[in-house]
Amino acid sequence: LERGLAATQATVLEHGLRDPGAESQAALVLPILGDFPPPNTAASIPFWNKMVAEQDALTSWWLDRMYLSDYPLTERMTWFWHGHWATALSKVLYAVPMQRQNNTLRTHALGNFEDMAKAMVVDGALNYWLDNEENYLTSPNENLARELMELMTLGVNKFTQDDVTSAARALTGYTTNIFTGAVGFNPTQHYSKPVSILGATREFNAESLVSLIVSKNENAKFITDRLWFRFVSGTTKPPNTLVSSFSSREIEPLVRALVASSAWTDSANSLAKAPVEWFIGACRALRVRPSHLNVSNTQWALSQMGQIPFNPPNVGGWPFGQAWLSGVSFQYRFELAQSAVAVGDLSPLSVPKSRMVQACADWLGVAEWSRRTGSVLSSVTDSPSELALAALLSPEYAVSA
Amino acid sequence: MIQCEFDRRRFLQWMGASAFATLATQLSFDELASAASSSPLPTNTPILVLVTLYGGNDGLNTVVPFADPTYQSVRSNIALTSSQVLPFSDSLAFNASMPSISALYAQNKVAIVQGVSYPNPSLSHFSSMAIWQSASPTGDLTTGWIGRWLDRQPHSPFNAIGIGSTVPPSMIGEKSVASMVDVGGIQLPWGPVAALLPRMGRPSASDVPLEAAAATSITDLYATGKALGSLVPKSPTGSTMAEQLAVVSTLINANVPTRVWEVNLSSFDTHAGEQLDQNALLAEVDGAIGAFMTSIGSGSRSNDVTLMVYSEFGRRVMSNASDGTDHGTSAPVLLVGDSVQGGLYGDQPSLSNLDVNGNLLVTTDFRSVYGGLLHDLLATPVGDVIPSWNSVLSVH
Repeated sequence: LERGLAATQATVLEHGLRDPGAESQAALVLPILGDFPPPNTAASIPFWNKMVAEQDALTSWWLDRMYLSDYPLTERMTWFWHGHWATALSKVLYAVPMQRQNNTLRTHALGNFEDMAKAMVVDGALNYWLDNEENYLTSPNENLARELMELMTLGVNKFTQDDVTSAARALTGYTTNIFTGAVGFNPTQHYSKPVSILGATREFNAESLVSLIVSKNENAKFITDRLWFRFVSGTTKPPNTLVSSFSSREIEPLVRALVASSAWTDSANSLAKAPVEWFIGACRALRVRPSHLNVSNTQWALSQMGQIPFNPPNVGGWPFGQAWLSGVSFQYRFELAQSAVAVGDLSPLSVPKSRMVQACADWLGVAEWSRRTGSVLSSVTDSPSELALAALLSPEYAVSA
Repeated sequence: MIQCEFDRRRFLQWMGASAFATLATQLSFDELASAASSSPLPTNTPILVLVTLYGGNDGLNTVVPFADPTYQSVRSNIALTSSQVLPFSDSLAFNASMPSISALYAQNKVAIVQGVSYPNPSLSHFSSMAIWQSASPTGDLTTGWIGRWLDRQPHSPFNAIGIGSTVPPSMIGEKSVASMVDVGGIQLPWGPVAALLPRMGRPSASDVPLEAAAATSITDLYATGKALGSLVPKSPTGSTMAEQLAVVSTLINANVPTRVWEVNLSSFDTHAGEQLDQNALLAEVDGAIGAFMTSIGSGSRSNDVTLMVYSEFGRRVMSNASDGTDHGTSAPVLLVGDSVQGGLYGDQPSLSNLDVNGNLLVTTDFRSVYGGLLHDLLATPVGDVIPSWNSVLSVH
């Protein structure tokens, strides 16, 4: 078993330059839509329809990719970083810059955090989302500067309001093309005098600001905490030793250390599965490609559950824990599970009835059914589809324990 | 060996894949009772409706010190002109996007508590909202203030209800959590498995806390669906404030035994182009509250209901060049209801005597406002819900 565990670790942590599963998906080419037509003209409605179609296509594309990938770690981490650099279509509207951001996050998902942060601080969707295109030389807009430090790199109370004001100056002069997501730099609009940020006084730009911030010990602690929070426990704190795995700001060693830590084996650490994680897990178990289900029903259900890709509720990212476990959420979980089971591959349940309930736990990666759930499942072994549906809706499958 | 098994499973779960496992036995079936039909809320029971504005609503462009020359000078690009406000005194006015609340104020049904925040206000959305929702400026309480009130009530999924799908932090307690109702209507599971699922809603001894919570959510869905399903209108469009408050007024008028409700609206983070965005948001809130008060007024509970409108912070006194405002501190809290003693409470913070960041000083602690609501509406000593706090600002 020890060897089995090591092999599983190796498999799960495996990733490569090529991902045949994900690459089997046709490339998503989204036309650049350009500016809105004048309001209340004949062109308005077709333009808006195209915009919504691109948003839906991008969302559907990513759900499919999560399902298809042979190296789920890369997608899992891209998903994590999407919640971390939480940028939403609700404001950005254009899918092209969101797709560009998604590619950036995937490129750096297991790479170097400083490289990621340098790419993200000049990411068009993020700059637009946090108003940096309106951060002027004469009057800073603090939104990007503050959230960059508070939510993305250092954490709350690790900087002062003066640091925010100065960092906002460092981020002046960047221009966003929201149609494409490209960010340019206009030196004449950049604040070129020295400013003091986190104790360092000199001229800063976006890149040198990120270098400074990421060099701080607080950055290592913060990123370690965020990964722990989403992957291990929402209630406990990581051991102090874990942060040393991130000393070089390389993400992969930190993920490996997290996965190797004893916290993984501690049943006290449990997490509520977020809706997208729950849904993709169900699709992978049932071998149902998300886009083969009714796409608008799926996206409606996920949005009603409060989690649709490319639309985090705010810059703080997704809710967590018990917030996901409402009766309303269960209502939509039922609808999604019902539609996926109806077309799903139930062959893992093709075992003698006496072993079916057990086989179902193995199939879904549930450690052990409670007496309650075991009893319910034992009563539906005549029907593999009813068994699968009930199991997907069990409290055990709602939680990673 | 077990440990390795769990380890492996955990990995695979994390990846959405599958693994090995064990066990199963019997459990009896408990029929659910419907609380709403059997125990309607007794008449004259006070009801609190929380209206949460996420993003930091600009208090100075909501309740506007329009006559203060400093107001016009420090935010000239977003200051509301005399045609954009509805004055109610020589110095203060409502944003003109708020005609309903302005009319309710004239009827003495709106209390404006001025300058509300807490000591050393955080300029972080998330810290500040967490502080408001936990009622814990030091961050030492992780439960919500309504959640702690819920913990002290006999368990019922009806005690507190939020509108939407994700539970607001204010309504998560140690033992209890609010139920949620979706504006899309309640659709109970159907088909052959539907009859089995209520059994899945029973907590099991082996449940970790989140599994128990997942089980309870199933029970709560069936309980609320059974009692409320026919009452909640199907709404195809989603989550406007008007739709949320329409669901709440319908259910209040149906005598659902719920003491606390929550609705919310986002996008108040107006760093740029504030006037257009905030006016539209305030108009949405105002129209929804106007319709809500009309609906409640047509029933028998108009004296029971109080709404509290609040946000995590106000915004910077001086505007930025993007015609917006950065994060600020204190702001007014509005309390609306027929039984509210309308008028101004607390002191309006000065626009010139500011803190080191150029933000308003705090004149009222939000915990005193909660204290008043706990005392007047929820019949609970404030110290039971907010440890070592006893200040009460009563508007009833």
